[in-house]
This record gives sequence, C-alpha cells and structure tokens, in this order.
Amino acid sequence: MKIFVAVLLLISSFSPLYGNTIFYLTKIPNLEIYDLNSSNNIKYLTAEKAFRVGFRENNVQCDKTDKNNIKKKFDLIKKNFDIYDKNFLKKINLKYVVLCEDLKVAEIKTAGVPNHKVKTLIVDINFDKRYFERSIHHEIFHMIDDSYKELFSYEKWEEFNTPKFKYAECSTCTNKLDLSLNNESRGFLTEYSMSTASEDMAEIFSFLMTDSENLNKILLKDTILTKKTLFLKSAILKIDNNFKFN
Amino acid sequence: MIEKVKQTTSEKLLLAVFIILGIVAFYIFLILPQKCLFIKSYDPQEIRFDNPENIAVLNVNCGNVIIKLYPDISPKSVERFRMLINSGKYNNIAFHRVVKNVIVQAGDLEFGRKDNLNYLYIGTGKSGFGTIKSELNDEIEFRAGTVGMARKNKLNTEDSQFFILLEDAPLFKGEYTPIGQVVYGLEVLDTIADDYKREYVLRPDFINSFKMLID
Repeated sequence: MKIFVAVLLLISSFSPLYGNTIFYLTKIPNLEIYDLNSSNNIKYLTAEKAFRVGFRENNVQCDKTDKNNIKKKFDLIKKNFDIYDKNFLKKINLKYVVLCEDLKVAEIKTAGVPNHKVKTLIVDINFDKRYFERSIHHEIFHMIDDSYKELFSYEKWEEFNTPKFKYAECSTCTNKLDLSLNNESRGFLTEYSMSTASEDMAEIFSFLMTDSENLNKILLKDTILTKKTLFLKSAILKIDNNFKFN
Repeated sequence: MIEKVKQTTSEKLLLAVFIILGIVAFYIFLILPQKCLFIKSYDPQEIRFDNPENIAVLNVNCGNVIIKLYPDISPKSVERFRMLINSGKYNNIAFHRVVKNVIVQAGDLEFGRKDNLNYLYIGTGKSGFGTIKSELNDEIEFRAGTVGMARKNKLNTEDSQFFILLEDAPLFKGEYTPIGQVVYGLEVLDTIADDYKREYVLRPDFINSFKMLID
C-alpha cells in the first residue's frame, strides 16, 4: 500500500496544473471565457493554449484558438447555436461550447467532441467550411442522443434499413467518411451516414436543422429516409414538445 | 605608537558585499518565510455587523477570515454549514485543494482531518450527515470571496466540503450553491499552502477553528 501511495504521489507531482475555475466545470485545461451573453445561456470558451483530455487516455487534443480566426467565425457559430432554446439545451445538458482549432480524437480529425456529463461540446472552428454549420448540429445531436439513449434505440433504427445493410463497429472503423449529400440517397443522406446508427441519426438531424427544404425533396422519393426522419422528429418532440425544426 | 591602518578600496568593496549579502540572507531566511508578516488580522469583536448571527469566523495561521452567510438565499446549505461549524467539525480540517490566486477548498471531514490525513482519498470523504440538494441561484454572482458548497460532478451531492474563491468565477453562477461571502480577511487565504504542480496539496494548511460569531 505504501509503495502504491508513493507511486501515486510521484505521478501526481509530474501532472500539470489545471488551475482555473473553468477546469472545475469542464475538466478541460487552458480555457478562457470568450462570450457569456447568449440568450440561451450557452457559455462560449476558447483555448488559451493547446490541450489534451480524455477519460482513459488523453486522446482528445485541440490547438490554441487564434483570436482573429474566432473573431471571423464567431457570428456564424453563435447563429447556429442560437437556434436552440434555453430549456431544450438544459434538457440535453449543453452549456459550455469550447471553440478551438484542429480538433483530433486519437489523431483523427473531427468536427466536434460532445461530453454531456460535463455539459460541454468541443467544436473545431477550422472544420471543413462546406459542412461546418451542419457539423455543429450533427454534434448537438450526439449530445441529445447521449442524454436520452432510451429514445434513440439503435436496434429499431437498424430495422429501417434493408436487411442486407450492416453498419460498421464504430464511426472511425470505416472509411465511409464523406459528408457530401448522396446523389441517390437510398436510405442514407451521406456516405458518413452509413458508418453507424448514431452517425446516421446525427446526419439526418443536421439536415433537418440546416437544409430542411432539400431534405423534404429527398424524403418524397425515399421511404427509408422518411421513416427515419419521422422517428427522429418524434423522439426529439418527446424531449421537448416545443422543439422547432427549421 | 599604534599606526592607524587605512582600508584599501578593495577592502571597502568586500565589506560592502558582506553587508549586502547579510541583508539578502536576512530577507530570504527570516522575512520571506514569515508569510503572515504583512497580512492584517481582523478581530470580529471590533467590527459592527448588521446581522451578527450570520457571521462566521474562520481562523487560519495568518489570521481571521470573516464570512457573512446567506441563509435567505441557500437556507438548507447554510443550515448544514452552520451545524458543522457549531459542532466544531471543521476544526483541524485541511485545505486540501488549493489553486494559487484562484480557489481554496476544505471540509473533507473524513480524510482531511489533521490527526488522520489520508492523501489517497482526500477530497472524497463524507461527513456522515448525508448529501443535501443543490440550491442554485441565477442572481448571485460568484466573485472573489464567494463561499460555495463544493460537490461532485452531479448536482445534489453537496455534503460538507466548501470552497472560497480568490478570483471572480462567472461560470460558477447557477452551477454551485452560494452560501456566503468573505467580508474581511480574504487576503489571509492567499497565504494558504498551495502546490504549483497540482491542485491537491501535500502537507496542507489546516483550519485552526471555525466558529459562528454568536453561538
């Protein structure tokens, strides 16, 4: 036991100091406040320095936020988060949005990392411009899904697909990463939709929030997607009956 | 006849160096370690308070920290805090989590006791009185000197641990239960032992006594 305590003390003596009050809440070091005035109570934070976080290993990393870069992009980011009502955000446990650059999970580039337990969504402000706005809603869906697992049954969802179709084991276990809209949807809006049930749901949700007009046209020709969209809408309305899809 | 020997320039310089070294050594070894030297200690008996029944006095090595409690804002939490103060439970309890100029946290009654300090579990101990519900408030700002109930990641897990902010923390509003505000002696808390490498302090400072001004 004494050896264990000694080792623990030795390890802790080399651990970095994460000393600010934001770390208390988000468990992410090196953050600073960017904007606290949003009407829906979202607190926007930026990275003063690069950080690494993670539960088992520090596999989530993001670089320092450049002040000019965030200044250029903040209005667009805020416009997208402003769509969500304060009460809905409270229900899905989203309060802190960390805006940083070149976000990676296990060295793979990603648009966002949600963690509903600490009410935090990390967003890469340098994510591909073509899908940037949609990616915000995609990540918000993951916050919704994580907070209400019981409403988004993957088994039921998979029943909407053709019997031969199988999702991959995880979203990064496949090379189906293209986020552009499929020309012929056949149950999936993008190639990335085919990776996992959760990503499939998140992709539909992101179109619902940003490009519903185009989505509605696709739904007219695709019965699988129509069923999936109805399932999603119904589940979200169970969380908040006043939720407004765009 | 004794001839007076004059000091050479180099001897004068050497003497000056010795004097400077002596002053520096005196400052380093005698003045600097006296961290309480320039800290004003407040005597609560000499101060007039509007509601003395809500005044708590936290005594640490460098003096008193005088706290005004918020029974109207967080009644259940203040009731718990007052009960623990009145029963002397906070006496000799460590400031186990200290971030210089940011925050000090104490109140682990199980693993933070001076006579039974447990570095392995400090910060996770219980009071034995059970947890209480969070009393969040969207109006109260968390500024330097605000005293709040500490909790686990989840709400409604407050027990006996509390923190005192040494800097403003606007994000704490609506997240933590405010139980009071330091009205005198916040600078005393700047002297609490911290460790620049970690949040959890090895060889921490302790609360000498924590009492209500009026029992």
